[in-house]
This record gives sequence, structure tokens and C-alpha cells, in this order.
Amino acid sequence: MTADRPAGAELLAEARRTLLEVLLPLLPAERRYDGLMVANAMAIVARELDAREPGTREMLAALLAALQQPEPSGEPPSAPEETLARLEARLARDIRGGRYDADDDRRAAVRRYLQAATIARLRLSNPKLLGG
Amino acid sequence: MTAGALGDAAAQERLCRFIAAAAGAQAARLVKVTPLRGGAIQENWAVDIDVDGGPQAGSHALVLRTDAPTRVAASHGRAEEFALLRAARAAGVTVPEALWLCRDPAVLGRPFYLMRRIPGVAAGHRLVKDLPPGAPRDALVERLGHELARVHSITPQTIAALAPDQLFDFLGPPSANPALDRIRLYRAYLDDLDLQRPVLEWGLRWLELNARPVHAVTLVHQDFRTGNYLVDARGLTAILDWEFCAWGDPMSDLGWFCAKCWRFGANEREAGGIASRVPFYRGYEAGSGRRIDTASVHYGEVAAHVRWAVIALQQAARHLSGAEPSLELALTGRIVPELELEILNLIDTAGQAGRAA
Repeated sequence: MTADRPAGAELLAEARRTLLEVLLPLLPAERRYDGLMVANAMAIVARELDAREPGTREMLAALLAALQQPEPSGEPPSAPEETLARLEARLARDIRGGRYDADDDRRAAVRRYLQAATIARLRLSNPKLLGG
Repeated sequence: MTAGALGDAAAQERLCRFIAAAAGAQAARLVKVTPLRGGAIQENWAVDIDVDGGPQAGSHALVLRTDAPTRVAASHGRAEEFALLRAARAAGVTVPEALWLCRDPAVLGRPFYLMRRIPGVAAGHRLVKDLPPGAPRDALVERLGHELARVHSITPQTIAALAPDQLFDFLGPPSANPALDRIRLYRAYLDDLDLQRPVLEWGLRWLELNARPVHAVTLVHQDFRTGNYLVDARGLTAILDWEFCAWGDPMSDLGWFCAKCWRFGANEREAGGIASRVPFYRGYEAGSGRRIDTASVHYGEVAAHVRWAVIALQQAARHLSGAEPSLELALTGRIVPELELEILNLIDTAGQAGRAA
């Protein structure tokens, strides 16, 4: 089935423009902040729609590299989102347990992954902070 | 317009009867009631009243604070906040005068208190851009340093002398190492929320391995920052939001005040987005007689970002659970990556400083 246009992202963009240009000037001063929050939420959703698959496969590859693990094999295949969530949970546990305390290559690899994963999240939630 | 605790005439009538009794007056009349945009935590109202008779006869411009339907763990209720405001005032901190506390849920459905309404601007994003004329930046942060020193003059001993009747037992016993206790607490919060955030764990582990010697255990405000004080043309008019007070290391409050997440984008002005650290530290040292330990303040800044991230996740959970649907709470959950980026940067900086030393 061919998707109808305007597509969701196009509708959202126009809805946000209407909010900011038409409705916001009509809001009483004490409600302006609510209007801006709605616009911000719509902008985050628009970026998530645009990213479609928000870099999950890339993040998974980066995490496996940081953990110095091969691609999972032999296990029942799971969606990359699930594998990423499972490995992040393990990374969180291992950091808490002190596995990456020593100032060595393993720590440096994990540090690089944390930077990349955080920047990937910021690209969706607040790209302005990245100078983008 | 007037939804919430003060939303109907019957509630307003009960409030008048409470005020009249508390003020020892014949009667009290509400002149005007306006909801105020407060923190995400509780409901605030501007309340103008006329009091007939008694020692408080006359017109009063007040703020009424109630508990919100749900709240962040570790924030105090209104009765505790009322007691803290009084202790702060006794220690010479510039705070609104707290007038009457009502614990009886029959009046407004939840505990509340009334305090004097103080003029001034609190909004952080406004203050970092345009201070009211007459409030020069350096003078403001120097004054804030003095105020914070007065907060830290409150100790378990001074509180015991002020209120021997266990009024402040809610603060708990002072801990031998408040920073390590907080790490345990934040890990427990993350576990309760079933959230695995490797960057926050990175921060918590660093805090655990790099804990600083405890300088002293005093009252710490724990939310002393731009956005939580009022400024008008005369300068500082009040320190607000006492609901997170605890016994702790005074340097943690300095870290919270200077943390990048509370500079409202004015990142080059490291003391709360208002001015440089120099006048802030000067005011604090002069007021407290204590030397600033810059490594401890840096540690406090890492702790500040970790703490704010954990609170932000809790705020989002309040929305996600359906307990308190709110776009503001929901969006707060999405600021966590900003805080995480700063945690990574701050820890790198500390590592470099450590190797250079």
C-alpha cells in the first residue's frame, strides 16, 4: 500500500508551524511556556521520525567493539534494540561493579562508546547543544 | 483558572476560617487568589487577604504552598519546609517570613502553609540575560555566597538548641560520609526505576572512587541555584525552595550552584550563569570563615549532574506511571543526555587534573 501524503512527519511539521506562528501569539503570557513545551516535544518527535531507525545498529556495533565481543551468534537472533538494551544493562552493571576502573584500553574503549551513545541521544533530544 | 486545592468557594471559605483562627483574628477575607507557576513539585498560589482584628490586622500579600499529588523521593513535605524556613530565618538567611502551617487535611485536602509574598524575579533564563537594574552581577553572587554561608552555619548542634522538641528529626542523623550515602541512594533509585544508564553508573562509580574528605556536616540546601532565589532592583530578596534540605558536606551546595546545568546557557559565567566564581567564593569564604576546596567543589559538580539526572528520570517516571500526567515532567526525562555529556566531560577534566598534579 502506498502511504498517503502528507505523511506523518509532514503533518507534524505543519502542526508545529501552526502552533508557533498562529497559536502562540494568541496565548496569555502565563500559558506561553506550555506552548513552547508542546513545540519542543513535537520537534523531538519529528527528529525521531526522521531518524527512523535511530542508529541502533551502529550503536550495537560500537558497543560490541567496546566490549571486545564478537557479533552474537549461536543465540536465538533477537532484534538489535533488544540486544543493545541487554548489553547496555550489562555494561551498566559492570561499571558499577568496578570492571572498568583500571586506566587501560578497555576503559578507554568504553569511554568512547559512552560518548558516542550520549551524542546519538542528544541528536534527538537537543541537537543545538552539539552545535547542530 | 482555579483548579486544584483552592479551586472552589467552599475550600476558600475553609481557608479563611483557618487563617482567622491562626492569626487570632475575628475574620479573614480572600481578596484575590491566583495560581502561580511553581516548580514541578508542588502547587503555589498567590493569595491576597484582609485580616480583621488581632495582632495581624490588615492586608497581606501571601504565597500558599501545598503538596502536589505525588512528589520526588527525598523532598520534604510542607510541614518540614515550614520548619526549615523558620530555622533559616533564625540563622539570618534572607527568606520569606513563614506565617501559618496547616496540617489538617480537612481544610484543603493536603498540608499547606502561608508565607509572605516577596517581590522579585526567579526565572533562571531571564536572570542570566537581564538582571534588574541595581543588581550588579558580581555583587549578587557575592551576596549569594554570604547567604549560603549562613545556611551552612546551621548544624545539628544549632538546630538542637533552636528546637529541642525533635522538630527536625525528619533530617535524620548526620552521616559520617554523606557523599557515599547519596551514591547508595541514587543507585537504589535507578534500581527501583529498573533503569540501566551506563553513563550515570560511570559517574556514580567515579564519585565512589574519588570521594573527598568530609569538611564538616552542616545543613545543606541541596537546591541552592539560579532559579531558586528572587532578585529585584534592590538585589537579592529571598532564597526559596527548601524542600530538599539535608545534613551534608557544605561544598556540595557550592558544586550545585556552579554546575553547568544551572547556568541556563550562560556557560561562561560559572557562578549560576550570573558572574564568575571569584566573587561567589569570596562571599562564601568571608561569610563562613571556611576555605573553598576547589577539588571538592568540582566533585560536587559531578555529583550535581548525577543527582539532577536521577531526579529527572524520577520526574519522567511520575508522568509515565500515569500518576501525574504532565508535559513538563515528560520533557524533563529527555534532558538526561545533556547531563550525561557533562558528567563525561567533568570526569575527563578531573582525570587530567589528577595526572597533571
